[in-house]
Amino acid sequence: MTHEVAETTQQVVMNGTFWTATAIFLLAYAIIVSEKVHKTIVAIVGASLMLVLKILEQHEAFHVEELGVDWNVIFLLISMMTIINLMRPTGFFEYIAIKSAKLGKGEPFRIMAIFAIVTAVLSALLDNVTTVLLLAPVTLLIADALEVDPIPFLITEALASNIGGTATLIGDPPNIMIASKAKLDFMAFVYHLTPVVIVIMVVFLFVLKLVFGKRLHVKPELKKRVLEMNEREAIKDPVMLKKSLFVLTIVILGFAFHGMLHYEPATVALFGAGLLLLLSGTHDPHHYLAEVEWPTIFFFMGLFIIIGGVVKVGLIKWMSMKVLAITHGNMFATSMLIMWFSAFASAFVDNIPYVATMNPLIIDMAQQIWPHLKGIELLHNPALMPVWWSLALGACLGGNGTAIGASANVIVVGLAERAGKKISFVKFMAYGMPIMILTVIISMIYVWLRYYVLKF
Amino acid sequence: MKVKDIMEPVIDVLSPKDTLKEAVNKMRVAKRGATKVGVKGMLVLDEKGNLVGMVSLKDILKMIIPFYMSYSDLGDFTWDGMLEEMTKKVADKRVEEFMTKDVITIVEDAPLMECADMMVKHNLQRIPVINKDKRVVGIVYVRDLYYAIVKALLEKEDER
Repeated sequence: MTHEVAETTQQVVMNGTFWTATAIFLLAYAIIVSEKVHKTIVAIVGASLMLVLKILEQHEAFHVEELGVDWNVIFLLISMMTIINLMRPTGFFEYIAIKSAKLGKGEPFRIMAIFAIVTAVLSALLDNVTTVLLLAPVTLLIADALEVDPIPFLITEALASNIGGTATLIGDPPNIMIASKAKLDFMAFVYHLTPVVIVIMVVFLFVLKLVFGKRLHVKPELKKRVLEMNEREAIKDPVMLKKSLFVLTIVILGFAFHGMLHYEPATVALFGAGLLLLLSGTHDPHHYLAEVEWPTIFFFMGLFIIIGGVVKVGLIKWMSMKVLAITHGNMFATSMLIMWFSAFASAFVDNIPYVATMNPLIIDMAQQIWPHLKGIELLHNPALMPVWWSLALGACLGGNGTAIGASANVIVVGLAERAGKKISFVKFMAYGMPIMILTVIISMIYVWLRYYVLKF
Repeated sequence: MKVKDIMEPVIDVLSPKDTLKEAVNKMRVAKRGATKVGVKGMLVLDEKGNLVGMVSLKDILKMIIPFYMSYSDLGDFTWDGMLEEMTKKVADKRVEEFMTKDVITIVEDAPLMECADMMVKHNLQRIPVINKDKRVVGIVYVRDLYYAIVKALLEKEDER
């Protein structure tokens, strides 16, 4: 162990630049955690400091894949957001939500379970915040119609969106970032993560049944209110809906085959966004483009540059050596450590900066273990693969731990407060933390069984 | 003519601590002129008599419509009796929670044209009138302004 650490200090030059970059990185992350300044502003200021202080050249920040902005992530996010913005006014999501409530026959628990499944599936294909924002208003309406407390429904949806988002490459930002850095395609996520997410979802529904199955009852005349709703009335623009579904199908097929066709996911999404903008016949794209969550996009860009700075000065390399010193290069131990650490880290801090840091750290670590390997051979080394999946599972599922663990949770807590029902930090945790621990235990067993026992 | 020549006196006001139910009742029984009863909007003054807000029928409607209705188009999925249920739910909300806080005011010496311009630009039915010390001295309604216009037209015809 001491041997390895000694080697690191030789490789990493801890000069003034090193400490300046480290200070910017630590300070930026501390301010992001403290929430004293909006995280996007912190990221932009931190990134610009990396450039102004010449830690990173502008060319490196904008054009070098290993150090700068990951445009694959940026364009994938912008394109998917644009597609959703074009789709939203059609009423498709309200249609799905009302239809689900009717499928539940006005029975609160059935509605809760169906909403959880719908949320998980939509979150796997769209981003979690969008899904929750689209379903929550209908959930509140249904709860009012049935005269039941909406809080268990809303918390269930937030948890389900984080679980569902774990299943695919595009489901959750950590997966988008991991896919881009580790050069993993959409089907790899479907093959390696979707199965365990399905198991987790089944267990989650079973837990819901245990907790809420007997608690929720409503009078028949209230159920009638839900059954009398006509979901067809939700569709405001059937022509645009058809166009949107057509493009969405192309995009999903594109994702399914992008690895085979040698397209990056961002190419697929950008094509979809362009096509739908064209088909919509709009002469005013401003509205749809302005609705893209630009603060999130700039948060990503700023973070990538900040991380680029600390990668360049060797801080990340130094950190990866520390991790190796703990795990002695045992990949199973590394996987488990990363999964649990990621889960608890993501429960309390934003998982986006966390994963942005972990990606280069894992790559650095791999380089030190297998110095003779490069590129895909290194990134997709069979021994390294479970580490990527552990990072994804930990970072995504960890979001369920607390009210601030994932953006979907923050949205739900905010909506509940507006509905006059405050969800305290502790109350959310009482639901979220047990679910997080349970789902990470399932993931742990899955990774161990699949990659270290059965090895397929 | 100036605003102070056409404004009406402020007789009944709301307190920020009044509940929605109390506010609705005050507005229902408030006198309008010599004969009529019931107003569609009322000023909110604190205990020191400072203007802190205004409540109109629209503010009350907005309070009754659940906030989630504004997130998406859900009007088609409401039910018979929902308005009444929601109204009962918010009956005890305080005026300060639903009043319009940024009240546009006009000084008593302002010309009527300024008043007319403000009403159209900001889509207002009534504007509180204040003096130099920013104390409320009256209220000018769109109908008062309209009477002034009617008067101007008819006087002209009389001259002919």
